[in-house]
Amino acid sequence: MDGAFRKIDVDQYDEDVLHESELYDADPRSPAEVLDDVRQRQGAVRSLLAKNDISGALSVILENAPYGPNVDDAKNLNLQTLLTVLNTTKSTDITNIIKTLSPDAQDTLMKYLYKGMGLPGWGDISGSVLLGWHEKLTEVAGVGCIVRTMTDRRTV
Amino acid sequence: MVSISFFIQFLLNNIYIQSNVLRPYLAAVRSTLTAALTLENFGSQVVERHNKPEVEVATSKEVLLNPLTISRNENERVLIEPSVNSIRLSIKIKQADEIERILCNKFTRFMMQRAESFIVLRRKPVPGYDISFLITNTHSETMLKHKIVDFIIQFMEEVDKEISEMKLSLNARARIVAESYLTAVSVQSLKTISCV
Repeated sequence: MDGAFRKIDVDQYDEDVLHESELYDADPRSPAEVLDDVRQRQGAVRSLLAKNDISGALSVILENAPYGPNVDDAKNLNLQTLLTVLNTTKSTDITNIIKTLSPDAQDTLMKYLYKGMGLPGWGDISGSVLLGWHEKLTEVAGVGCIVRTMTDRRTV
Repeated sequence: MVSISFFIQFLLNNIYIQSNVLRPYLAAVRSTLTAALTLENFGSQVVERHNKPEVEVATSKEVLLNPLTISRNENERVLIEPSVNSIRLSIKIKQADEIERILCNKFTRFMMQRAESFIVLRRKPVPGYDISFLITNTHSETMLKHKIVDFIIQFMEEVDKEISEMKLSLNARARIVAESYLTAVSVQSLKTISCV
């Protein structure tokens, strides 16, 4: 006797079932617009980096970071830009740079740090860089920053 | 005498370097775990009068939080999956070669078979990891939270040390066995040659 019908998730047909999209407000922009925006910001970040303004570059990247579904390209591009910035920063400057960021930017930075560490291939960055940033960010922003990373559904 | 003191100095330096390299990794795990260990009693929303670790049953999305990964390199990482009433922490232990892989497997198996004496240990690891811990709100209520964090961190410190020690003693033992076996063989063959 076939018992496959027992495996059907009947709860999904419930009328007040919770959907992924109800957990957070979706980004009003379309995926193409988001990708365009990230590309433009990449250029802005390059010119800021050339001027050695790292905290300016970071706040440009971290403001309005892409989130939600369907924008994986933009997310990866933004992460790559961020990782190059993190990689070029001297470890002695990190604390001062973090202090200049707004609390929202600090939370977003924390999200990106965990995302970077969670990547399987790592890209071109060594773990100690991300761990160093994580340690200094926790010192400045506290454990609450990590809690907000865990609870915010708008994953970067 | 000089060589011994030099050797000790070398060992001390080595330990110092190792802990210094490991420190940011463990600090990250410590702060993340502290952040995740804010658990409360929470009954199941799907089955009445049931109370299960939500991270394990995963029946309601809204009580599962974003899982976080902390990694030192590709072979050493920690996955922390928080939820409203339980968290799951999985560790991937460093395994450089075949011997370490076998030792790690035996070591974690030994402990997971005795999981009830460790209380927070999970009987099976999450796929892709070597050992998992499941901490529920009961644990964080009956035990001190910072002590649980200390326990996990201490475990992570010890397990690397333990495995490299086992590897050293295994190699030493193999060397002694091979030596005594080969001396026996060579004495034997000398005797046979002299008899002829």
